[in-house]
Parts: sequence; C-alpha cells; structure tokens
Amino acid sequence: MSLDILVQVLLSGLLLGGIYALVAFGLSLVYGVANILNIAHGTFLAISGVIASLIYAATDWNPLLIIPALAIPVFAFGYLFHATLLRPLASRSKHDETIGTVLITTGALIAMSDITGVVAGTNQRNIPVRSDMLEFGEVFVSMTQVWILAGIVALTLVLHLYLKHAWFGRAVRAVTQDPMGATLCGVNASRARALTFAAGSGLVAVAGVLYALIYPVDPNMGFSLTVRAFTIIIIGGIGNLAGAMVAGVMLGVAESLTAFYWAPKWAPAISVVLLLLILVVFPRGLGTWRRA
Amino acid sequence: MTSRPLALAGAAVVALTLATLPLLANAYIVSFVFALLVAFVIAQSWDWVNGLMGYLNLGHYAFYGIGGYTFCMLLVAGAPLPICFAGTVVSVAIAAALLSAPIFRLKGDYFAFATLTIVPLCELLASNLSGLTGGSEGITLPPNYVLNPAYYLMLILTLATFVTTLALMRSRFGYAMRAVRNDEQVAQVSGVRLFPIKIATLMLSGVFAGLAGAIQAWQFSFIDPYTMFNMGVALIPIAAALLGGSGLLLGPLVGVALLTSLQQVLLIKLNMLQGTIYGLVIVLIGRFIPGGLLRWRTIANSAALGWLSRESHFEVPALRGGARSDALPLRADPIDASRKILECRDVTMAFGGNIAVRKASLEIRQGEIVGLVGPNGSGKTTLFNLISGVLHPKSGTILVDGKDISQFRPDEIAGLGIGRTYQIPRPFGELTVRECIAVGRTFGRARAPLKQSMLEAETFARFVGLDDCLEKRADQLSLQQKKVLEIARALAGEPKLLLVDEVASGLSTVEIAKFVEHIREIRDRYGVTVIWVEHIFSALASVVDRLIVLDSGSVIADAPLAEAMHDENVLATYLGHANPEVP
Amino acid sequence: MSLLRVEHLAVAHGGLQALWDINLTVEPGERIGLLGANGAGKSTTLGAIVGYYPTMGGRILFEETDIGRESVAARLERGVVLVPEGRRLFAAMSVRENLEMGAFLAAPRRQRAATLDQVLSLFPILKEKAAQPAGTLSGGQQQMVAIGRALMAKPRLLLLDEPFIGVAPLIIRDVLVALSAIADTGVTVLLVEQNTHRALEFVRRASVIENGRTVLDADRETLRNDKGFGAKFLGLD
Repeated sequence: MSLDILVQVLLSGLLLGGIYALVAFGLSLVYGVANILNIAHGTFLAISGVIASLIYAATDWNPLLIIPALAIPVFAFGYLFHATLLRPLASRSKHDETIGTVLITTGALIAMSDITGVVAGTNQRNIPVRSDMLEFGEVFVSMTQVWILAGIVALTLVLHLYLKHAWFGRAVRAVTQDPMGATLCGVNASRARALTFAAGSGLVAVAGVLYALIYPVDPNMGFSLTVRAFTIIIIGGIGNLAGAMVAGVMLGVAESLTAFYWAPKWAPAISVVLLLLILVVFPRGLGTWRRA
Repeated sequence: MTSRPLALAGAAVVALTLATLPLLANAYIVSFVFALLVAFVIAQSWDWVNGLMGYLNLGHYAFYGIGGYTFCMLLVAGAPLPICFAGTVVSVAIAAALLSAPIFRLKGDYFAFATLTIVPLCELLASNLSGLTGGSEGITLPPNYVLNPAYYLMLILTLATFVTTLALMRSRFGYAMRAVRNDEQVAQVSGVRLFPIKIATLMLSGVFAGLAGAIQAWQFSFIDPYTMFNMGVALIPIAAALLGGSGLLLGPLVGVALLTSLQQVLLIKLNMLQGTIYGLVIVLIGRFIPGGLLRWRTIANSAALGWLSRESHFEVPALRGGARSDALPLRADPIDASRKILECRDVTMAFGGNIAVRKASLEIRQGEIVGLVGPNGSGKTTLFNLISGVLHPKSGTILVDGKDISQFRPDEIAGLGIGRTYQIPRPFGELTVRECIAVGRTFGRARAPLKQSMLEAETFARFVGLDDCLEKRADQLSLQQKKVLEIARALAGEPKLLLVDEVASGLSTVEIAKFVEHIREIRDRYGVTVIWVEHIFSALASVVDRLIVLDSGSVIADAPLAEAMHDENVLATYLGHANPEVP
Repeated sequence: MSLLRVEHLAVAHGGLQALWDINLTVEPGERIGLLGANGAGKSTTLGAIVGYYPTMGGRILFEETDIGRESVAARLERGVVLVPEGRRLFAAMSVRENLEMGAFLAAPRRQRAATLDQVLSLFPILKEKAAQPAGTLSGGQQQMVAIGRALMAKPRLLLLDEPFIGVAPLIIRDVLVALSAIADTGVTVLLVEQNTHRALEFVRRASVIENGRTVLDADRETLRNDKGFGAKFLGLD
C-alpha cells in the first residue's frame, strides 16, 4: 500500500470523524441538559443536507451562505419541536417520559423522512462544488476539504470557548451536572433545555451542509448517523466535547480505513460492533457515565 | 365489569370466527387478518419485556427478521418444514441469549438506545453475508400457495402467545418480571435473581417473534434485508402495543387492531405520505397517551369498555378451607445468644472523596434487637446497603453466621435470610398489597410456592394491619401503610435477620407503640434478630437491647441500652441534647 | 419591619402534601433556627421560601412584599439565597467556576471579582483548590464551596439546610466560625439543623416544626430550659 493513498484515506476519515463528532456532541449536550435521547437527531442532519443540496442546485449560493440560511430556521424548528412536544413530558413519571421521548422522536423520524422523500425524492444528492486541488508531493487535497476541516475546527473552538466562558454556556453545564443547584443559582433550567435542544439542532444543520459537500445524503440515512453518534457518546462521555472529538475522529478514521482496505459495505458495522464490544468489556462505559 | 362466562363466550366466538375465516372470507380478508395476527404476536411478545419486565427493547423486530431468514435458509437448503421451524426457534434463542450479555448491563434510556442499533446491524449482516443470505437480492422460496396453512399456523401461534401472556401474568416467573419492572433493587433484595429472569424473558420473546417471522416468510415466499429488517417498520408493533396499553392483557391486541386497520385504510385511500401520517400518529401517542388508550380515563372508567382495561392481579379462589390463624407462618428459631448472626470487620465504603462508612466493626447475636443510631449522613443506610449486598465494601468483611458475604449478590443474601426495609418505602407500586407480600415470600428464604404465598400473604398483612387493603394497588396506599407494607414484605421472606430502616417518623404515637410491639413479637415468638435504624429515640428505647452509635461513618459507641443512655458523648452526638426526656 | 414573614404556608410535592401550616417570622440581622424531626418538612419549607417548590396556600412576605409567586431568580435578586441539603455542587466544574455560578444573575455578576475575594478570604483553603473539580473535594470543603457559592449571590437572607451532613467533626467548628462571621456582616441567617445542641450554639431563636406544622417558636434560653422540648423535638407530644 502506498503512503500517499493512506494519507488521503486518513484525511477523509478525519473529516468524516469531525462531522460525526459535531453530530454526537449536539446529541450529548441535549441528553445531558434535557435528558432527551433524540432518535431523530441524525435525521435532522439528513434533511438539512438534502435541503442544502436543493438550495445549492437552485441558487448556486456559496455553501458559506447556505449554512446560516439553514441553521437559523432549523434552530427555530428545534425550539418549537422541544416546546410543543418534548417539554410537556417532563411532568410525567420516568418510565413514561422515556417511552414518550422514544415515541415522539421516532415518530418524527418516520414522518420527517417520509415528507422529505415525497417532496425531494429518496435519491442520493450532494453539493457538487467545484474546487481547486492543492498538491503536496503525491498527496492531493481539495480546497473543499480544507474548508470543511477549517469549519470543524472553528465550530469546535467556538463551542469550547462558549461552554467554558460564556455565562449561558456555563449555565448549560451547570444544568447538566446538577439541575437543582443550577436553578438555585438563578438559571432558568427549562429555558436552558429548550435553547440547548435548539442549538443541538442548529449544530446538526451545519454538520449536514458540511457532510453534503463530501458525501451523498438522502432522507433515510439519518438513523445510522444517530447510531454512530450514540457510540461516540458512550466512548467520549456525556457533554464532553474533547471526548466526542477524539471518539468521533477514531470512528471516522476506522470507517475510512475499513471502506478502503477491506470493503465499503462493512464500514457502517464498525460503530455497532464497537458499541456492543464496549458494553461487554466496560459495563459502565468508559468511566464517563456520571448520569447513568 | 364482565362476568367470566361472558368473557369466555366472547373469546369462543372470536376463536370460532378466526378458525373458520378461510372458509368464509376471500383471500384479501384472510391476508389482512394474517397480517394483523403477525403484528399482534410481535407486539405482544415485545410487551413481555417492556410491559411486564420494564425494559424498553427497541430491537425486538430483529428477532422477527432472524426467524424469517433462518427459516428460508433452511427451507432452501432442503430441510423439511418441522426442521425449518425448529431451527428458527434455536437460532433466535441463541441470538437472544448472546445479546443479553451486553444489553442487560444497561438500564433506562441507555438500554433503549443500545437496542435501537440491533435492527440496523442485522440488516447490514443480511446484506453483506451474501453467501448465506443472498445479499440484497434476498431469498426466493419455491413458488407455493400457502396462505391458508400459514394462516392456521399463525392462528396457533397467536393463541399460544395469548395463553403465554395469561400464564406469565399469573406465574411465579411473571411476578419476578413484574417485581423487576417496578423496582429492580427491591426485587433483588427480596430474593429475585435478575439475570436468569432477564435472559429467559428475552429468549422467550425472541422465539415468538422469530416464529412469526418464519411463518410470514413462508407465506410471502420471498425475503430480503429491507423487508425483514426495515427500521421504518420495526417500531410499529411497539407503537401499537404502547397505543393500546403496555402491560395490560388486552393492550397490545387493541393497539394492533387499531393501528393495522389504520394502515389498511391509509394504503387504500392514499398513494403517498402514509409514512408521514403513521409517524405523526406515533408522535401523538407519545405526546398525549404514553400510558396507552386503555389507561385513558374515559375508557378505563366507562361501563361498556372498562373491562378492556382490567389489570391482571391474583384472584383469590372463592372457596378456601382451613381456619384463619393469626400466627405467622414462620419457623420459630430457638434463640441461641452465643450464635453470631452478623459480624462486620473493619468495613469501609467510600463514594468519590466522601467516606460513608469508616472501618466499622460490629457483632450481632441471634435474638438481639439492636438500635442503630446516629445523625443524618452518618452511614446507617450505607451500612444496610452493604449488609444486604446492594453495595460491596471497599475493604473489610461482612460475615453472616460465619460466612463471608461481602461479595454476594443481594438475592443470595436474601436467600440466606437477611430481609430489609427501605426508609422511603419502595413497594412494587403496580402490584397489590397481597402480591407485594407474596413476592417477598416466594422469592425470599421461605421459597414458598406462589399460590401458597398469595394466601399466606393475608396473615402478614393482618399482622401489620393491612388486611383491609389486600387487593389494593400498593402505590395507592398512604405513606404509613406503605411503611408497614415494607415490614410485611421483608418479614414474609422468613428472615433470620431483619434490617429495619426508619419507620417511626410520620407515624402517630399510637402507631409507633404498635410497631414496637410488632418488633418485640417477631423476636420473642419467631426468634428473628432485628437491627433497627431510627431517629425517634423513644421508639427504640422501649424495645432494644443494645445501641450502636454511628457518627461520620465510624462506630463511636456500642453498649447495652442503659449504659448508652447515660453516655454524655452519645447523647450529644445523637440527640444534640444533654438531657433527653425519655419516657 | 420583619425581613421575612411566612404565614400559613402549605406545600405539596410529588402528589403528597408536605406542609400544612408553617408560620415563621425572621427579623433583619437575626440568626434563627428551624428545628424538627426527619420528615417534618424543614427542607420543603426552605425550598418553598426560595421558590423551588410552588406553594399551595399561605403567603411568603419578604420586606412586606408577597413573593410567593415569584421565580427563584426573582427571589435571588431580592437576596433570598439557599444553601441546599446535599450541597448540589457542579461536580465536574472547578471550585472557581462553582463559586462564580453563584453570581449568575446580573447584579451580583458585576461585583463578582470583589465578592470572590471576600469568599476566598473567609475560606482560605478554597484558594488552593480553586482549579480543582468540586467533586474531588472532601465533604467539609464541598460545604464551604456551597456556602461560598451562596455568598456570591450577595444574600440578605441566607438559608442553610443541614450544612453539617458529611462534614468531619473537626471541620464543623470551622464552618460554624465562618457562619458567625457571615452573620456579623449583617446577613440574616436561617439554619435548619437536626442536631439541636449544635443549632442552639449558633442561633438565638428557633422555630420547631412537626408534620408540616409550626408547633413552637421561642428564644434559645427558653428552649434550653424547656423540659417538654426534648420530647417534642423527638417527635412525641
């Protein structure tokens, strides 16, 4: 095997993993703060990707413009989704809350995929931007890949700084770690939950645009992304950004290597097998399940 | 409320109609009812795991697919039909057993989410292992019109499913499942061994779904990864069971009938957006009736439909012999004060940086009543958790009758004869008082058969004054009643050592006095040793032989009552008052 | 004018009524105790005063203004601050971040640097531990963080719910000294404590509640000399 190909494969794994990590981190923030495992989370990405490719096909906008054009409405949609469907479950018993969450987010997954399929078709599409190639010796890197990498790094940094230093970011962490303590400090926990759900949705919309720049998207691919995100959360820890990044990149690279050196058809199995293995070997996850 | 003959008559009419259907109706109707029966078997077998045992398994549909695939692979390989079905049973059972090991390490949301990955994994395996499964081409069976035989097989499977549900709801095994659903830890300290129950339940539910998949595949004569492991379809039987009312005898049936009919209507009336309407229906169920239609008040309280909503509880046989006795059915242990029933040596337990129990050592002799006191947070409840096996000590040993139990499971410890109560009562809320006590009796050291336990539960209920609410659900009791129910449940297991965690607060003076009498009687008549954690000192003062005082996790005093009562240090720590008025 | 007046307070949570008739008056600058057996309703009373539990009946007046319908944040702004039972720290956040969360609302946020200095000089040990996750501290140090976090909100009425649970006996002394220092700066302190002996060292007056009702209200000397009080406190009439 030649080294230049390996580098290409690793690079695409890195990009894929970075996007996975963003998706997973959104899911884990929402779970940490609001105790909602959003089964439709990956579907939000799939549909954002499909819409982004439709917008691109219709307008030829720069993807940098598509990102906010999509992320803001999806943020609002996430807020409404939480306020009308999920927030009322909090007054129920724990078991009913779990069942309610599973049903609502699963129902939303089915309905949203179906509507998108009817409106946009179930075929795969992407954002076919033309891009220059940079040449490093034998290795070719497209400008698109550079932009995506920059986007992932920038988003991660912004998230990190926001959660670490901004007051609302701290409030979100506080609600994750002790909702009662946070309330007693004056944090409006239910507002924090709704906004976090909205922010998680907006984040996934951004990830959707990035994804559609390098891989094809279709309305029914969402669930397999949710499964990957769940694996990443278990490895990286609830609400742990650095953990999500490491685990996400590991998974992305593993999938790329599998796809290239073995068979693409086995790449999606990695996350599930990894998940089941981790459960067997580390019954409590990797020491990170504070809330479990 | 319907009478039993009426219900039986109704069931007979339904059974007869179903049995003669292929003679009366056209193929369209038969295949619709066939689809309904398939959905019912999947939904109902799923509900054994969720409705009875409390685990939300979102990967149940995989068993259906595995069953279908095994059947087709065997049939194509030339195996005769009975072998194909037997092979289906075996392969699904193995799959369920293998899955149990990882997934039952998880609880609640995590369990639900992890199981959600099973169906996609199976789809992937079915597509990729093309040598075995035909890959995405699937498997086509030799052409053969088998709608009617498949229908009859399905009818038999449906009947078996229904009978199994009835049997589970009434069996000892079923009560173990329901105890696990209500409170896993209390089930364990009552003597229920968890893992065999969980693995057996998952295997049972898998086998029924797998057989449904096999019969469906046989009837359809074609399978591929998409039809057998379609995530869009996988959750529909689950939604149906939840729509009807999970855990109720008729819940899954009603839900399946409604949802399958809706599906037929949609298929006929619409040529697109069926998935959307389906999805929205599921969203609405989750949003408004997670308990299910049959638990909806309008239905549960209605005269015409209320019988659909009936919960399954133990029914007392109408005729019963035997005189009523007030004596508890406990073997009386002769008191032997030289016997060390419990010994803790340097037991230490820490949570993160907080040391909850610090090198605690104590000895309890058979037939003693020992008061364990100390301020909030001094480690009393942690010590109980260590003795009952809910927690394992970081260091030190705990001996019961000389045997080191520090690494035993709670159910093993319960089997040795250690019973406990909880400070905040934790009854099995969905069970009746009689059933709660019987669970303690049939799984504890007593190991009495279920029916006998149900009958003997009365004596224990009478002993603590709950005989007038035997058939009431435990979650509808008052706090005081729940407290004494804890005692009855623990006592029914026939413990030799009973750990009582704070009963008196919230009870009236008269109730406390009565309670003290019970404790005394348990010891005097049946030789049960008691350790009693209590804040209300006067309650202890009249009955205990000895006081052990904990402070910040350490034993700071261990002395006969009279001596401890005059120890200034103890009084200051425990009561914070130099001269307590002790009646 | 009293600082706080609770009249006929009734509260239910989790479907069960926990408080029936709580009456309590707190004068500005005073140190008052709230005593009672386990389950008598002490924590619920404090939770209702800060707005964590909604009230079912009765009134809560702070400086004669009815605050019974206000949010937790609105009452915090008035200076009603609770140090909850079990401390409720943010275990994975640093000690410093925990303290700063106490100054989450706008007014205290502006003064947080100065307040933080005061808190750290009150509990010097926290200065060394400022960068450590709060979950790694000992029980006593965690309690100091909890009290410090409440002080960051600039309390006028500080409610403390069993602050000595899980605190090593030697450290209890330090915490009591700090509480006295806080009270000496003019902060009114309401202490819930089940160790009467210890509580009476600190407070000058106490209310006793039983089964969700106020049954006694007296000054320290009366309580110490009251023969029937021991029995009452032990939950027996």
